[in-house]
Amino acid sequence: MSSRSARLASGEKHPFHGQVLDRQKPIKFQLDGRTFSAFSGDTVLSAVLASGVDTAGKLHNHPVALTSSHAPSIVAANHANDPHHALAMERTLVSDGAEYLTWGHRPVSLGLGALMRQRGRSLGIDLASSKAMSKPWLGLPAAQEMQADLAVIGGGVAGMSAALAAAARGLGVLLVEAQPQLGGSSRLFGRLDGEATPDEAIDLLRLQIEQAPSVTVLTSAEVYALQKGKLRLHAVGLEDAKPSIVDVSARHMVVATGALERLPVFPGNRLPGVVGALEAFELAYHYGVWPTGPAIVATSSSPAYRLAMLARDAGAAVARILDSRLAPQSRFIEFAKAYGITMAAGTVVGSAGAAAKGAALSVSPRLSTEGLPSHEPPLTVDRLVVCGGWQPELTLWHIAGGESRWNAELSRLEPGGVVEGIALAGSAAGWLTRSACLASGRSAVAQLLGEKPIAVQESLIDPIYDTPDGPAPVGEAPQEGGPSAFLDGSRAYLVRPFAAVKTRPGWLQFNSPPPVWSLADTPHPLELSAIAAGVQLGAIPAESAGIVARERVQVVPLGGAASAALDKPQTPFPPAYLGGRYPGAELLVANPVEPRRLNVGALVYATADESNPLHAIGVIIRSQGEVAVALVNGTPGATVFCREPGRAVAIRLVTAYRDGMDLAAALGSGAGAP
Amino acid sequence: MTSSQADFAVVGSTPLARLLAGLLASAHGKTVLFLGESHAAYRLPQGIDLSLAPITRPETWFLLQSVMPESLKLIARIGGRGTWSHIDPLLVAKGEEHREALAHVRQMALGFGYGAEPVSRLPSGVSGEGVLLRDAVLLHRAALEAKLDQWLTAQDVRKVPGSDGLVLHADGSGEVSVEGTTLGCNRVVLADDQAVLQHLGEQLPLLRRQQSSTVFAAGVERSRIPLMLQLDTALSILNQPGRGMVATGSGSILDVAEQLRLLVAQQENFQPAGQSSFDTLAATDGAPALGRLGDTAVDVLAGLGPTGAFLAPAIARWLCGSASSTEAAWFEARHPMRDTAASPVAEIGAQP
Repeated sequence: MSSRSARLASGEKHPFHGQVLDRQKPIKFQLDGRTFSAFSGDTVLSAVLASGVDTAGKLHNHPVALTSSHAPSIVAANHANDPHHALAMERTLVSDGAEYLTWGHRPVSLGLGALMRQRGRSLGIDLASSKAMSKPWLGLPAAQEMQADLAVIGGGVAGMSAALAAAARGLGVLLVEAQPQLGGSSRLFGRLDGEATPDEAIDLLRLQIEQAPSVTVLTSAEVYALQKGKLRLHAVGLEDAKPSIVDVSARHMVVATGALERLPVFPGNRLPGVVGALEAFELAYHYGVWPTGPAIVATSSSPAYRLAMLARDAGAAVARILDSRLAPQSRFIEFAKAYGITMAAGTVVGSAGAAAKGAALSVSPRLSTEGLPSHEPPLTVDRLVVCGGWQPELTLWHIAGGESRWNAELSRLEPGGVVEGIALAGSAAGWLTRSACLASGRSAVAQLLGEKPIAVQESLIDPIYDTPDGPAPVGEAPQEGGPSAFLDGSRAYLVRPFAAVKTRPGWLQFNSPPPVWSLADTPHPLELSAIAAGVQLGAIPAESAGIVARERVQVVPLGGAASAALDKPQTPFPPAYLGGRYPGAELLVANPVEPRRLNVGALVYATADESNPLHAIGVIIRSQGEVAVALVNGTPGATVFCREPGRAVAIRLVTAYRDGMDLAAALGSGAGAP
Repeated sequence: MTSSQADFAVVGSTPLARLLAGLLASAHGKTVLFLGESHAAYRLPQGIDLSLAPITRPETWFLLQSVMPESLKLIARIGGRGTWSHIDPLLVAKGEEHREALAHVRQMALGFGYGAEPVSRLPSGVSGEGVLLRDAVLLHRAALEAKLDQWLTAQDVRKVPGSDGLVLHADGSGEVSVEGTTLGCNRVVLADDQAVLQHLGEQLPLLRRQQSSTVFAAGVERSRIPLMLQLDTALSILNQPGRGMVATGSGSILDVAEQLRLLVAQQENFQPAGQSSFDTLAATDGAPALGRLGDTAVDVLAGLGPTGAFLAPAIARWLCGSASSTEAAWFEARHPMRDTAASPVAEIGAQP
């Protein structure tokens, strides 16, 4: 299928015109030899998506969507294969004339087939074998060092609040944000009565940050290692798009990394055209990206309704909203009704597949209540926006040694325990409303500085009027040969097992039992969303979710904490594992009758016919040329037999061995000397 | 109020603990409680189950060799395909002391008829001397655990998830409350290091607690060696196609990660995918500790290393008083209250 532009038209009447773009500055760049058009302000990823390329590649013959959490690493073409120059596609701002390669890309001559693929909607990565989806910088040491009194990880409202609170106390603050701009994710969630709009609140915080001289801001910088007093990040320069790995020393750390959006689990949940609600919002809000054609929204969380309305305002077609909750209530739902959007409560996506022709996806809804017949006609759409609720982003918390536990009511992992010198804030700490997130930023700083605690209050709307999020929707079990049902949107490609297909009557004993589903053998870190999905699907007991999350997080050692090598005690001679083995044995110098070197460990027998190790009378424990030391129950002058592979070798016991003895000289002095 | 009384309570979560509980019930007609978690499918492993190991004592080789057909037949019957496989582990030693130990292990393996070949070309990043042991059996814990749990149910073994509520009595009996019902047992067997540490804590005169860690790595170039055992560091590195690389050994996570990193040919591809730290037990003479532990009268099975699961039939016989004289002598020599000053059962790793 050919790619087509996914850029919304500019217009000040709707917020999805691409807030960070300068549409007066069109630019062009190349990725894997293919030319893309963009605007100043685009990231490489947003520009590629805006060009209609929405597929990273194929995994086991099924296409997988290109998203911010599933985008290949890239590198400037003149630094191909140099991991020190690897970049994150979603954090790299494009510059006019730049040439990039996906990581590990091998240039090929462009034949007709290649030219045809160039117009397609895929980057063409073989996801099963390519290195492109790795992060090549993870194994590299830092090239720069920075220091701060307090480091804040996450530039959303909670992180900015924490940075300002620390600056107000005279601390030097480093505020690190993974996206190219501050602001975080709170825009999607709207506002409560009496609150400023999200844009107003964020703009005010950004202004205060700009005016705080002791706050240094580092955007497009992803922290991936964290321990007490130290973190490591990979940053991409906004001006020059040059990467750097930086170690930051800071006495205090605030982790304000927000919340992850859960992916509903159904076959086809990562096909091109399927996108998370938060990702869809941010692509549209910052970069004006929203593919043309009808979309439907499938959610278990009310803010997705707000997204649907904003998309409608921008001229996009949203045909229907499916909600897994049976009777959801929300101000957003009431507004959406006024927009005339068709809504179906108690409905989830059972499965999705590629549409026969024309549109991208064929989506099969089903009732969310188990056991009821629920086949509904499939819907043909270009885009499926999904939202499975929110999981506090505790990855760095776990990396630093923090604990977590499963909250069954909210179907999410929540932080627990204490990590010295590190505090959580905002959605990462489990707070839901903007006011609570702002207060939690201040509270985290007070906690770290040992000040009087600052109370954080959550002002939630009564559940009668605002239904809490439901658990992440779960659709049909995948069928063998069909599209996979991924547990999350990460690069680990964890999938729900295929439903067992019974080929014989159930009463037959030789029906193959279903294979054991083992997450322990999965050779990737387990993302929190996958662990949460694993709990929902019964693969991980709820009480073990926290320990699994800690075990399966990706800890990159920052050095300095490995145990010092222990002083080795003097090894006894003969070694302890020979103690008591041969009663009456002594150390004797031994000499083979025929010239040869005896092997250490070779067993010594009284007769040439014996070969049972249980009947051995000794063992060779040191060998030097044609002389050896044996621990053997024998007397000088005796001939015994050493069992070498295949045959017995006669050896003479020469004399008692003494520590430090010259073995060669001993041969001429003993009772067994020739 | 005690509502039922079992002959044995077996505590642990390893294949050894499960096999032992099932054998006590099926082969010896005992009523058995099994107190242990089933977490191999989602937790990182804390060890491996391998039929061969760096062992120097001939009586241990003999015991393993004699019980192995019985063990393999049982495991194959319970687990079927996919729960175990044949594998050629590489033993590696770097320091002089451990190179000598490796030579003794090789000769002992040859003496008992096992293939044990010196390796002239070690994998990239590995130095020292290597010996390839032929035709060992490796258990796949994640797949086997589910089958063993089904088998335990079929043998009428009462399963209790975990042993947090277990109360030990001075005579070696115990009881545990499950959903309001008290289940008693005449004899408690703490069947792995974790069970011993959880319930006996520091009451371990012979055994010392040591930190161990597992590091799971993805993205590393696959070595041609499926399993490597490093004698100097007691590190095992399991490398299974499509399943990443699992390193388990003594020391902190950083210690084990660093050792693994040094062995990975292309370091930029080294991507940790998981890690855990836990305590293990080791006797000061490096040998296992098996039997009733001092004042507690509880049976402990500690420090067995990777071969423990394969000794399960012999351990079950010994616990039921039906062990052969050879087996009984082997267990008696490894009693947890033994004098280790001049230990006649010391193994590699003994602390002078």
